[in-house]
Amino acid sequence: MPGFAHLRTVSGFSLRYGASHPERLAERASERGMDALALTDRDTLAGAVRFAKACAGAGVRPLFGVDLAVATAEPVHRDRRRTPVRGGAFVDESAPRVTFLARDGARGWAGLCRLVTAAHAGGGAPLLPWAGQHGDGLVVLLGPGSDVGRALAAGRPDRAAELLVPWREIHGDALRLEAVWHGRTGTGPGSLRLAARTVGFAAEQGVRPVLSNAVRYADPGAGPVADVLDAARRLVPIDPRGELDSGEAWLKDAPTMLGVAERVVEAAGFRRDTAHRLLEQTLATAAECRVDPEGDLGIGTVHFPEAHLVGAGRRTAQRALASRAAEGMLRLGYGGRRAYWERMHQELDIIAHHGFASYFLTVAQVVDDVREMGIRVAARGSGAGSLVNHLLGIAHADPVEHGLLMERFLSKERVVLPDIDIDVESARRLEVYRAIIGRFGTERVATVSMPETYRVRHAIRDVGAALSMDPAEIDRIAKSFPHIRARDARAALEELPELKRLAGEVRREGERFGRLWELVEALDALPRGIAMHPCGVLLSDASLLARTPVVPTSGEGLPMSQFDKEDVEDLGLLKLDVLGVRMQSAMAHAVAEVERVSGERIDLDAVEPGDPETYRLIRSAETLGCFQIESPGQRDLVGRLQPAGFHDLVVDISLFRPGPVAADMVRPFIEARHGRAPVRYPHPDLEEPLKGTYGVVVFHEQIIDIVSVMTGCGRGEADRVRRGLSDAESQGRIRVWFAQRAAAKGYDAETIRRTWEIVEAFGSYGFCKAHAVAFAVPTYQSAWLKAHHPAAFYAGLLTHDPGMYPKRLLLADARRRGVPILPLDVNVSGVAHRVELVSESPVVWGLRLALRDVHGISEAEARRIADGQPYSSLVDFWERARPSRPLAGRLAQVGALDAFGANRRDLQLHLTELHRGARGGGGDQLPLAGGRKTAPAGLPDLTSAERLSAELGVLSMDASRNLMDDHREFLKELGVVSARRLREARHGETVLVAGAKAATQTPPIRSGKRVIFSTLDDGTGLVDLAFFDDSHDACAHTVFHSWLLLVRGVVQRRGPRSLSVVGSAAWNLAELVEVRHTEGLDGVAARLAGPSGADGSPAGGDGGPLRARLAGSEGLPAPAGSAAPDPMADRTIRLSTGYEMHPWADLRPAGQDAAQGPASLRKLWHQSPGSAG
Amino acid sequence: MTILCVRFQLPPMYEAALPELLGLLEEFTPVVEALPPDGALADLRGAERYFGRGAVELASVIRVRALARYGVDCAIGAGPGPMLARVALRHARPGVTCAVPEDAVAGFLADKPVAAVPGVGAATARTLDDYGLDTLGRVAAAPLSTLQRLIGAKAGRELREKASGIDRGRVVPNAVSRSLVTERAFGIDELDPGRHRRALLSAAEEIGSRLRAVEKVCRTLTLTVRYAGLPHSRPRSSGGTPTSTTRSRTLREPTAHSADLTRAAYGMYEALGLQRARVRALALRAEGLTPADHASHQLTFDPVDEKVRRVEEVADRARAKFGPRAVMPGTLALVRAPGRPTAA
Repeated sequence: MPGFAHLRTVSGFSLRYGASHPERLAERASERGMDALALTDRDTLAGAVRFAKACAGAGVRPLFGVDLAVATAEPVHRDRRRTPVRGGAFVDESAPRVTFLARDGARGWAGLCRLVTAAHAGGGAPLLPWAGQHGDGLVVLLGPGSDVGRALAAGRPDRAAELLVPWREIHGDALRLEAVWHGRTGTGPGSLRLAARTVGFAAEQGVRPVLSNAVRYADPGAGPVADVLDAARRLVPIDPRGELDSGEAWLKDAPTMLGVAERVVEAAGFRRDTAHRLLEQTLATAAECRVDPEGDLGIGTVHFPEAHLVGAGRRTAQRALASRAAEGMLRLGYGGRRAYWERMHQELDIIAHHGFASYFLTVAQVVDDVREMGIRVAARGSGAGSLVNHLLGIAHADPVEHGLLMERFLSKERVVLPDIDIDVESARRLEVYRAIIGRFGTERVATVSMPETYRVRHAIRDVGAALSMDPAEIDRIAKSFPHIRARDARAALEELPELKRLAGEVRREGERFGRLWELVEALDALPRGIAMHPCGVLLSDASLLARTPVVPTSGEGLPMSQFDKEDVEDLGLLKLDVLGVRMQSAMAHAVAEVERVSGERIDLDAVEPGDPETYRLIRSAETLGCFQIESPGQRDLVGRLQPAGFHDLVVDISLFRPGPVAADMVRPFIEARHGRAPVRYPHPDLEEPLKGTYGVVVFHEQIIDIVSVMTGCGRGEADRVRRGLSDAESQGRIRVWFAQRAAAKGYDAETIRRTWEIVEAFGSYGFCKAHAVAFAVPTYQSAWLKAHHPAAFYAGLLTHDPGMYPKRLLLADARRRGVPILPLDVNVSGVAHRVELVSESPVVWGLRLALRDVHGISEAEARRIADGQPYSSLVDFWERARPSRPLAGRLAQVGALDAFGANRRDLQLHLTELHRGARGGGGDQLPLAGGRKTAPAGLPDLTSAERLSAELGVLSMDASRNLMDDHREFLKELGVVSARRLREARHGETVLVAGAKAATQTPPIRSGKRVIFSTLDDGTGLVDLAFFDDSHDACAHTVFHSWLLLVRGVVQRRGPRSLSVVGSAAWNLAELVEVRHTEGLDGVAARLAGPSGADGSPAGGDGGPLRARLAGSEGLPAPAGSAAPDPMADRTIRLSTGYEMHPWADLRPAGQDAAQGPASLRKLWHQSPGSAG
Repeated sequence: MTILCVRFQLPPMYEAALPELLGLLEEFTPVVEALPPDGALADLRGAERYFGRGAVELASVIRVRALARYGVDCAIGAGPGPMLARVALRHARPGVTCAVPEDAVAGFLADKPVAAVPGVGAATARTLDDYGLDTLGRVAAAPLSTLQRLIGAKAGRELREKASGIDRGRVVPNAVSRSLVTERAFGIDELDPGRHRRALLSAAEEIGSRLRAVEKVCRTLTLTVRYAGLPHSRPRSSGGTPTSTTRSRTLREPTAHSADLTRAAYGMYEALGLQRARVRALALRAEGLTPADHASHQLTFDPVDEKVRRVEEVADRARAKFGPRAVMPGTLALVRAPGRPTAA
């Protein structure tokens, strides 16, 4: 009984074609007793590394290949079809496809990489030009999809023989004819007749035939999934009467394939036992394709750019690094300090030990280049712990001063590649990439890819479209889901309160949705596209193109490796993370604005540390827009922690991480800091590492020190131990080892026990101090800007929009801080937000809104308008700035043309006529009144509500006043407490609050429950809300799906600056305003009596105080003791650290993003009276 | 208070019942104008005196009779002129007749949306809305010149008159249904051009035989293709009517000949060049209906044309006798109906 090897198998990395993950395929191959399995994805090798790893795990030998569309030797002429008026043209899949398998080790792999690169080089759909063919270490399978196979299907063996000639010329003996039988009728692909013809033709031509199953999915029964993928790829609905997937393309086992072979050879007119020969040929081909994942793909080896490219000249990289480091010592003035020299030499030893010198030089080179371009750059990550990095100018902060450890970054004991991340201005990130490519050449540099995988929303959209569902309904269903995994779709329907309405619909009319849910779940995590990773850049020696296929990115045309971050690390390719950070861009803009208007040059990297003004701002917790400390949770933490220096900022940033929050480090720290609890150390020896944080373990560095002190094992080993702590299994071993070593050093059992408790509890949660220091630098810089140059700071923020909040909230914050907001004006506004002098004494700087924020304006239009300033009249503006008609209309609506006279509607009319005149070529004179002013036409001007609505629609910001101002009257009637007055509210008081939703989150929290955090803006300030799960049934839907909210809740006070409202009922304020308008107060009363607020009592009753007690002081609820049996309990996601996460936590919530602005929600809250319809 | 505007609550595809209902109105006044597919205007100036009742009372009588005799309910608006009666109809429900008071016309109109006026379509209404002229009161207050700049000289003048309550329209008696429509819907998003053509053929056949049945010819054929929306387009938030494409073609000569209609329909369809569009329905509308005996027909020397018309005549008679599926083109017989008529 011969075995079988599948030579043609695609995984999900064949976008919208394969239905199984490579891991699943490898697993199934092993289960079904196969020794070898090929992965031949369409147009990509992206799955190869995962596949290789999975195969190693499953004990299957991996074969690598790719399935490419190939241009035929002679080009085909095709009639041009008429361009459709609607719906677009069919996706052209007519190019014949051929499978290439790598044969001779590294040569074969390099050949595959080259083929894929060549196929993608042309842009558009991947197509391998005939000239790109080569026979280097490859086996070629001509299957039913190839030109030869098609000729056979058409019943033209003569033509097939003709077409075979050029293939033979190139590939000679490495050519195979591939027979596939999927039980189809007729003579098309997958039919028995074509398979038989192929085998017969192969015998006739003396080419070896092989049998494959053209596998698309691992298990039987996935045919409908393949249909959905086909539909999504071709952008057409599934036609149930058309040719559907046969359901046979699964990973069949050897006996089944023998049966297939027997049918095929019999149909070809051979004896039944010839089937064995067909299978033998297949196995022989598999045996030929020998590529070793380690040796040939290069997994496990490292390749750095050649030393001469990174400024080493003729010296070795290590020598060059040593001399540059020494130079840095002198430059930074550490020359006289012995500790620094020792540390430097120690680090250089470690680097030499690993041979990573080129790596440091490469990064230093990149950073130097970026600085030279005048782009702000900062290092982040554990790399900041290395003094050498600091000396080379990569990291800003001095690691010795801040107590950062090299060992956290790199040690002799650590065998993985170190990584240094650098932050650059986001707006100029691509410039940086181009500079790197320019420096090292395209043969050494590529960006890293990132597969975009199906999550629930996309899966619903694609399946719904394939099933011919109504697009509006698909849209509604997709939007009602939070951003969860597709496989959880049905579970979410059952469990999530905000999906209750949809779930009811599904229950009532399930048949309308057909197989929707099943198929949605089947698409889970399949790649649906490949995008450029936002930060990874590969740097290698000149052999890069032989080790990774490189394709151009769709937008920017940058070279991109098909491998993603993890693959690249496995392949031993050096990756440098170049992150575009919007805050850096924002700060750069702010600094430039200050220089433009006042001539004052600010060097942010040199601003005075410990500026009292800055820390006063931070302590006030009004840190909206400040890097890392602007989220509601952070504002709360900052308010309680009251940072007074840089170190406090570092601690603050480290504490606000899921780990420390989960491990309850926050409360003891705050207690100790404010002297409410004594500082305790397990042993006096540990005072040194723990002193800075009042005995609470916050940083990884502290764990390393503790372990090192207690066991005397050295910090390098201690870091290895720390990494082992997150794994439950190795934790047990470490515990024994720790106890022995510590006992040997003479510590008593009690100390060891208590120390171990700390290490065990916090070891895997802490935060890397080097990270935190690197983060705290821009945090301080941004806060400094906000304190000293608020107008410029807001200009930068609004221009580069770095934050988590919608722009209109930043505007409200600016207004509150007394920065005048100057309206958009085509004669004054620039492309970006600007600073403008409003009054000389006292000097007040205002913020002038930018043209770029106008909806639908293009960069070129904005530039043209700004360049042509000033304009003397409407006609002048129209003729010189040449705005598009809709754009001009929008500008008029928001008052940017008010300077030209007439009211905004009259201006609209004039613009329309100018537009008409320009089209007709007439160029009629406009009626003018009083010189250059535009004559009024007698149209009613925009009412104030309409103006606000226009501002929201066009700028997504309420520029002239806060939108809540319009509802003051009504809110007063309701007795709503404003955010400002809320600060005086008592703890435990039941209040009504209202506002526009600014942010909503469901972060993972300590108790493993799901809590909805929301922030409202009411013009006087922000109100932070928390909804605990007992209120979700009543509130979740409203909170997620409305923009203006009215909430009843209980005040939670945890400090002078720290308070939030625990919500118990929520209403859509926009709806209530409408009701108030149409039905009066009685209507509102009826609405409030209705079900949305029906849960009533818990808010004001005993629920409130109880909740308050449970909530603990860190603002997050402590475990709720003996809570009622929770239906969610069995779905809780337990992380390896033992920390439980609610399955629905940490998701982007359902509904529209608050940050997307109100443009699409506009009509919810404002309706012009008596409009049409 | 003399003109009534009646809208019968006819299910679509039952417009054939309209003539009978018009007959009912003609029992009150000879001046009845049909508003296909389901409405009519009736001038009751003489009737009021004859029956000794006001228009609103007569409206109730009409409703009762329509219900009693035909089982068809109706909504009725009343006003001094046809335009005002039609505006009034928008606010009427079966059983609640809305009447425009003769002396307070301007006040009645002031807060009505502009689209309420017949002749103001979606496009005009949108234009006026954009300029803040969303109610008739505001339109009446706007300067005439501005209005004319907005929507054109003639339309501007007429709209302003209408908005001020000046109704110059008259009820013109005619009994002709001026258009015929039929629609073929698909159960799934249909991309197959073969099925599209089959649906068109069946629709054109139906239009042809219905025209011949009432002895009319049509001058213009209109094709409307309704889509399920584009696979990746952003559906409108309202999720309202699906997007559609409309094409019209004026026929070489007015005709009711199915083959000519089919050819015209195919021509319009081919010109769209549809490939991936998700077609949910195809509708054909025959417009510009005139009596068949007024139509001219270009004779040819080709005997085939003559024969085809004779065959059609015979087929019509066979269908009249043995039902609509007795004789049909082979393509349509092959597969059972390529889509159901929407409401039948």
